[in-house]
Amino acid sequence: MNDWIRLLMWLVPALPLAAAVTVAALGPRVLRGASHWPVLIALATSCLASLLLLGHVRQQPVGFERVESYWTWAAVGAAGAAPQDAEPGVPDALHPRGDLVVDIALRLDTLTSVMLTMVTFISFLVAVYSVGYMRGDRGYWRFFAYIALFVFSMTMLVSVSNFVLLFVFWEAVGVCSYLLIGFWYQKPAAAAAGKKAFLVNRVGDFGFMLGVFLIWTTYGSMNYHDVPRPAATAVVFDAAASAGQTDAAAVQPGVLGAERIRAQAYVGGGTGFAICMLLLLGACGKSAQFPLHVWLPDAMEGPTPVSALIHAATMVTAGVYMVARCTPLFGASPEAQMVVAAVGTFTALLAGLIALTQFDLKRVLAYSTVSQLGFMFLGLGTGTLAGITGGMFHLVTHAFFKALLFLSAGSVMHAMGNVIDMRQFSGLRKLMPYTFATFLIGSLALAGIAPLSGFWSKDAILAAVHGKAHVLEEALDARHELLASGEAKAFRTVAWMADAPAVHAAPDVLAAWSEVQLERGARLYGLLYYTAVFVAFLTSVYTFRMLYLTFYGPLRVPAAAGDHAHESPRVMVVPLVILAVGAALAGLWMDRSYLNGTHPFAQLLEATPSLTGAVAGTEALGAFHFGPAATSTAVALAGIALASGLYLAAGGSARREAVGGSIWYRLSYGKFYLDEVYDMLVVRPLAGLAWLWARADDAVVDGLVDTVGRLPLVLGRVLRSLQTGLVQFYALAMVVGGLLLLLLSDPELTGRMWTWLGGVWSSGVRP
Amino acid sequence: MTELNEAALLHNYLLVGGLVLAIGVVGLLVRRNLIVMFLCVEMILQGVALSLVAWSRYWDDWGGQMLVLFVIAVAACEAALAMTLILAIARRTGSLDMVAWQELREETVAPYIDREVPEERGAPRAWPSLPAAGREPVADEAENLYRSGV
Amino acid sequence: MMRVPEIGAILALGPPSGAAAESARDGGLGSEFWGAILLGIVALCLLLPATTRRRQFVGTLLGVLSLLLITTDLLVPLVPRSAAVVFWGLAVVTVVASVAAIATPKPVHTALWFALSLLGTAGLLLFDGAQFLSVSTAAVYAGAIVVTFLFVLMLAQPEGHAVYDRISWSWYNKMAAALVAAGLLGVLTVALQVGLAHQRDMTVEPGTVVAREVLAEAHVARFGAELYTRHLVSIEVAGALLLIALVGTLSIMTRTAGAADQVPRGTAS
Repeated sequence: MNDWIRLLMWLVPALPLAAAVTVAALGPRVLRGASHWPVLIALATSCLASLLLLGHVRQQPVGFERVESYWTWAAVGAAGAAPQDAEPGVPDALHPRGDLVVDIALRLDTLTSVMLTMVTFISFLVAVYSVGYMRGDRGYWRFFAYIALFVFSMTMLVSVSNFVLLFVFWEAVGVCSYLLIGFWYQKPAAAAAGKKAFLVNRVGDFGFMLGVFLIWTTYGSMNYHDVPRPAATAVVFDAAASAGQTDAAAVQPGVLGAERIRAQAYVGGGTGFAICMLLLLGACGKSAQFPLHVWLPDAMEGPTPVSALIHAATMVTAGVYMVARCTPLFGASPEAQMVVAAVGTFTALLAGLIALTQFDLKRVLAYSTVSQLGFMFLGLGTGTLAGITGGMFHLVTHAFFKALLFLSAGSVMHAMGNVIDMRQFSGLRKLMPYTFATFLIGSLALAGIAPLSGFWSKDAILAAVHGKAHVLEEALDARHELLASGEAKAFRTVAWMADAPAVHAAPDVLAAWSEVQLERGARLYGLLYYTAVFVAFLTSVYTFRMLYLTFYGPLRVPAAAGDHAHESPRVMVVPLVILAVGAALAGLWMDRSYLNGTHPFAQLLEATPSLTGAVAGTEALGAFHFGPAATSTAVALAGIALASGLYLAAGGSARREAVGGSIWYRLSYGKFYLDEVYDMLVVRPLAGLAWLWARADDAVVDGLVDTVGRLPLVLGRVLRSLQTGLVQFYALAMVVGGLLLLLLSDPELTGRMWTWLGGVWSSGVRP
Repeated sequence: MTELNEAALLHNYLLVGGLVLAIGVVGLLVRRNLIVMFLCVEMILQGVALSLVAWSRYWDDWGGQMLVLFVIAVAACEAALAMTLILAIARRTGSLDMVAWQELREETVAPYIDREVPEERGAPRAWPSLPAAGREPVADEAENLYRSGV
Repeated sequence: MMRVPEIGAILALGPPSGAAAESARDGGLGSEFWGAILLGIVALCLLLPATTRRRQFVGTLLGVLSLLLITTDLLVPLVPRSAAVVFWGLAVVTVVASVAAIATPKPVHTALWFALSLLGTAGLLLFDGAQFLSVSTAAVYAGAIVVTFLFVLMLAQPEGHAVYDRISWSWYNKMAAALVAAGLLGVLTVALQVGLAHQRDMTVEPGTVVAREVLAEAHVARFGAELYTRHLVSIEVAGALLLIALVGTLSIMTRTAGAADQVPRGTAS
């Protein structure tokens, strides 16, 4: 069995890679129109393998992780230096003077297997859809090769167990997105969008890279997992430090390994905050969070399946995954968590506002993705188990309904002759019934209408934030009471801790928080909760605006569609239906709190080593939160009502016009002019500098080189006149040259020559 | 011979050798006839040979004489090859004039043309000529410039 | 040890012959030397082809004068009169024949003059004790090479004279050539003096020690022994070189012989 698991673990990324190589090699000549077959087979098999792995993981005990090291990629001896600012009280053993060893190691735990399953499943459906969508494209084989490479990168990204490799595949994902967004590279907008995505991501990647460096200098390891230590070096450890349970001396603790989590040997304070912020910067780049969100809407220039893939499965989830994976690091810095939550919420609000007024169907979806990703970050930023599992839950359900929405939008675009402007078509309900149905399901899920999947996951996040704010307030009150009564000692056993059915012996994180932190946190999370509710309202407004504009009203079809405005072929519809089923039922299936108070998804995810024990279990995961659920349903319905009033009801257009002129409308329509601001603050100065350097290069460097190059020419022009073709002239020159050599070879001879010349001169002058 | 002043002898030989060498250089640089130029090269070698032998005697060392012997050997090779090449050249251009090969100059450089061609001394001799038959060959003016006044 | 003043001493061994010795003692060459050289230049320029008979006559006069100057100024009289006479005679023949060789407009005459110059050289070599070289010079050069030249002359220039032999170059070319030659001579002389001054291990006391080895009784035998022992490899290389030259000559000849027929010959006679 174990060998099977090992095989499956490497098979999941290896199959897409093999497919990519096969298609790249055989696609242009041999496979041509059949280029999708290797990719489809590989992705289906990968998906199957992921499901098997998931099944395997579910049977394992809590905290299960399995790391399979295949080979050593890099090994630098004694590279690690002892960190200077080791936290007091942290056993020295957890700051190892480690060698830098980068193993190609794949890991298996619940977080990874959930991500793998989601990625391969969605990618498979997108690939099936692409068979219909991309048919006849000149770069058919290229497209599928990229898709397979993309899936390979993403599966590796979630599978690796090392920050260095994480960075490698982090970059690989970026490259693949660049290739796919700029897939129609002859289209200037697409090429520019690809470039923009890549460059904006670079900003984040730079931060991420610095974060990885800082992790290395702080923790002396790059691995997530603990590595068994060679017996010879085991003596370095202080046996007493590792408090018993397992022999800490036997392992070199990884950054996210069980040893370190048990000992809670995480650096807080400035260093911890810096690490988290740098990682967050990377996550912002990949997951399109403010201020690096600008690339994602432009990524619409790629083929629609690519958008679906990027938005749902592969690219943007990387940041969320990474933050979830690094939960222990973030847990050590409450401020970092607050920043994560705040950034997420702000992004959600910003993108929601922008999405309200866009007319490009895919662009609305793009901003909605940004907004939903903000929700996920908000969930992660709570730092509670409920919040993190909620964020991941939202990631999975969002993958379903966002892929569904994108593919439906692609179906519309396909039918409308590549027109995507919602002002140019309407009333497509009758024309494209399947697409309409699936789009409707996706919209309902996105808007968070029970019992569709979006409702459950959004509710989980809102509840987690609400709970967090509540808990912080309680803790603050308790602290005040304790301080008042002078019994500072007792506040470790806060009421919520005692009552909560803590599944694992999670450390009391809040005990370490200062009063100011508690107060600030309580206020912040309270604010964030209400903002998030407002964003949920915005979500349902723009979702239904989009739905009404596209599918309701009189039937209008743009001229570009010609006569072939029709429902999409079956190969495109089938994935839509599957996704629609997923989008509708995934939430019901994964969150059974309404049924029996269990939450299979969260409980599964909880078993991840970096989550279990690392996070304070604030409350029972299976609890159904009636308050937030009712609130979010109410605001969603209100949003739908508002959208109906504006876009469906009779007097809608007049009301729209009334709003249309306002400055808020223009700000939203202009995407808050962030692109322009960036253009002015970053692009223009850089372009100016580049222009300056180009001139300098032309004038100075090139000028120098040109001068050097012109020198032989000038000299040659002089010397050319000596080339008389008369042999004796050459012989004369030779003799003179020989004479000069003879004269100059000996300093005394040279001196005599000068004196003689002087003598001749003076004798010539003298009468 | 023991009475001879060795240093004086060396001195005199070096002087004569230098003179021969210098005269050879002048000839090489001035004369345009390929064969004469070549003879001048040989003359230069003779000048060198004289001084080498003088030094050999002065230092009581065989080296100088050996070198001269090899110079003679190399000169013989050189002469054989040079004669062959000169013959080939003469066949190609019809003359032994070095200037005939100034075509190898740079394009922009003006060709060397003799300003004045002095009269040949003595009366022009009548050479036997073949009876006219067929067409008279067209004379090349530029070539005639370098030809003797026959 | 031999220093510059000692050169002066050498030069002064003979009867005082003028300023040259003194100037040599001073470490420089006197104006007489340069005067003689300049005179020689002018003479050569006048003597070279493209001249009238009158100019040639003047040139000859000047040349003789220059030679006389050089002789009296620079040549050190040799002590046994007989030896001096022999040396002087040979030297004069050599130099005069050399000048005549480059001065005569006709290539055939040049070759003949050169042959005479070679004979003079051979005599000088003999006088200097290089018996074998003297004979080989006479045989190889005068006997073989010059005759080959003559053959080639007959082949390539049956007219026996050509315009380019008479006009040579314009006067400044000649002047430049003569100046360069004079410079060469001057530099060599200075270099000789400097070189002697630099010589630190000149253990042979000049004028007293006789070259016992080179001037030994069995000169040619020793010459051969030296040649075939110490210079064995060189002689092999020289032999190989001769062979290669032979092959090269043949190959060039056979190749150009075919090509020559295609090139229209300029000589109509």
